[in-house]
Amino acid sequence: MSAPSSDAIVLKSVVKSFRKTSRKRETTTLKTELVRWLTFRKKKAEPSQLIQALTGVDLRIPRGKTVGIVGRNGSGKSTLLKLVTGIYTPTSGTIEVHGRISALLELGAGFHPDFTGRENILINGIILGMSRAEVKARVEQIIEYAELGDFIDEPVRTYSSGMFMRLAFAVATHVDPEILIIDEILSVGDEHFARKSQAKMNEFRHGGKTILLVTHALGTVESWCDLAAWIDGGKVRMFGDPRRVVAEYRRAIAAAEAEAEKTGHSALSAPGLALPQTNGAQAQGVAGARLTGVRLHDGAGATAASFSSDAALSVVLDFEALSKAPLRFSVDVMSADGRLVFSLGYDAGELAGKGAVTLKVPRLGLAEGVYELLGTVTRPGEPPPPPHRVALTVSGSAGAGVLKPVHEWAVERPDN
Amino acid sequence: MIRNLKELYQYRALLWALTARELKARYRASVLGFLWTFLNPTLNMIVYVLVFGVIMSTSVERYPFFLFCGLIPWVFFASSILGGTTSVSDRKDLLTKVRFPAQVLPATVVATNLVNFLLSLPLLFLLGALYGDWPSWHLVFLVPVLLVQTFFTLAVTYLLSSLNVAFRDLQHIVANLVQMLFFLTPVLWNVETIPAIHRFGLDLTAEQARDAMLYANPMAAVMNAWRDIFYAHAVPAWQPLVAVAGVSLVLMWISSGVFERRREEFAELV
Repeated sequence: MSAPSSDAIVLKSVVKSFRKTSRKRETTTLKTELVRWLTFRKKKAEPSQLIQALTGVDLRIPRGKTVGIVGRNGSGKSTLLKLVTGIYTPTSGTIEVHGRISALLELGAGFHPDFTGRENILINGIILGMSRAEVKARVEQIIEYAELGDFIDEPVRTYSSGMFMRLAFAVATHVDPEILIIDEILSVGDEHFARKSQAKMNEFRHGGKTILLVTHALGTVESWCDLAAWIDGGKVRMFGDPRRVVAEYRRAIAAAEAEAEKTGHSALSAPGLALPQTNGAQAQGVAGARLTGVRLHDGAGATAASFSSDAALSVVLDFEALSKAPLRFSVDVMSADGRLVFSLGYDAGELAGKGAVTLKVPRLGLAEGVYELLGTVTRPGEPPPPPHRVALTVSGSAGAGVLKPVHEWAVERPDN
Repeated sequence: MIRNLKELYQYRALLWALTARELKARYRASVLGFLWTFLNPTLNMIVYVLVFGVIMSTSVERYPFFLFCGLIPWVFFASSILGGTTSVSDRKDLLTKVRFPAQVLPATVVATNLVNFLLSLPLLFLLGALYGDWPSWHLVFLVPVLLVQTFFTLAVTYLLSSLNVAFRDLQHIVANLVQMLFFLTPVLWNVETIPAIHRFGLDLTAEQARDAMLYANPMAAVMNAWRDIFYAHAVPAWQPLVAVAGVSLVLMWISSGVFERRREEFAELV
């Protein structure tokens, strides 16, 4: 048995490279191969034909936690899941897994269309690692969960895609794993079954199972995961509080998009390429006027890392205008899931040279979380420039939602 | 090798479930269903009897029965090799989506064909009975001969299935080789009819030529043993069989090594 460990999964400097030759070899014809032979030309050097999907991943997934993995297409998320599942073996590095794994990478692997639902439950259950007796004991439970009615004794090929997915999901989740690995399949079937599968996932979560989840639904990661890992360019770029990770990920995407808008090319155009770094105040703006910095100050005028909901906030927009022209400043605050919380604009009149415009908010009023503050300066008649983005961290007041209004609670008791 | 076989034993539930499914699936959508297990070899036999028994009028007595004694074990071997070669490369669905013990796949093909072979035996006995030829006590040798053939088949299948993942031409090459081997193995003809060879710089008596065949072609030794058991009612010569067992052991050792080494890339290449 595996040694007791507080970590369910431990990855140590895991590298995974794929050889490109497998594709190339297919297009190699006998003629080219013969020519190569006859001319005594050696095969091309190996390293140039390697694709590194993961370039050194260190990750500890604590037992009983739900961990979301975010990242762009081609960043190595699915490769990571396949490595943890044991479908791939790492090129170098080690992976320790403590506990029985069930992977929901693709539902219905090994289903045979000519067999009935009931027969497929048996074979699929065994494929997923259950013993025959275990499957037999759970068959009724699975059938009931899948809600297929009399169809359970019909061949699977007659099923609708929704029925197929329901059955496959039912089997996969009844394996009773200690570690559940999910790749983008939380929404199965119609509204009713989606809710049911969500409930099943919550059951796993509260049952102390470790869940590793790859998804592009960032809201799910924020609201549902205990931890999040952001995989970028084959590495773990950030690991920790899901809201922070997601916010940082969003910011990087936005920055890459802004870059693309400016230069016409960016990391976004090539799949799997690492996103640009976001830290460091890059000067952005159009030719006529631009923001050179956005600073966040507390009520006392000092730079602060995070703010409490009741604190005062000053946003200082440092600008530079080449010629005298009317300037319009605006400050937008976005919540981590990309919703606009508020947008404030200010016409400053004609300004030139360097200066600063300050927005004062006596009471911030935002609920705990990481927000994104976008500062812009525009001149009338010019297209709005990409905004200058900074993170706004609000802490110290637990609560859901985005607002924390001024409030008080009162209790009225019957006289006694 | 030991580890490979041990893991195979460990996954026997999976092996058995897949084999059962394979057997059921084979004839599921057909009207005649399970009858095909009997019809396939019978139709084959009829054609061969027509060509070699009637048209070329072989001197072998009870030729249809003689032929059948070789044909049924040969079908077990040939189907296992042909199906086994593509057994890994065809299962992308299993290999890339779930953690799946790949060595179960070739074994499943061999097991399926083994069961088919056992199910065809009654047909063999029935045909013998038509000639008044009842199974004798020599049937006890069925167990060791079957073990040797199964082990040999499994070893070849492991090797071919793992190589075919990266080198898909193999499946076409194998299909041709199996066809050639069919004629080079005493299935249609009797190994005793090999004449003395005095050509190509060789100088072999008929006996030496026969032994050369039995030791050079593992399937020839096995086929000959089957004939002894069913047709000649004799104790099979044990020396060639031991040689086959030895070859199989070495081959299994190599195959397991190759399979084990290549296994990591299966999921990436299929």
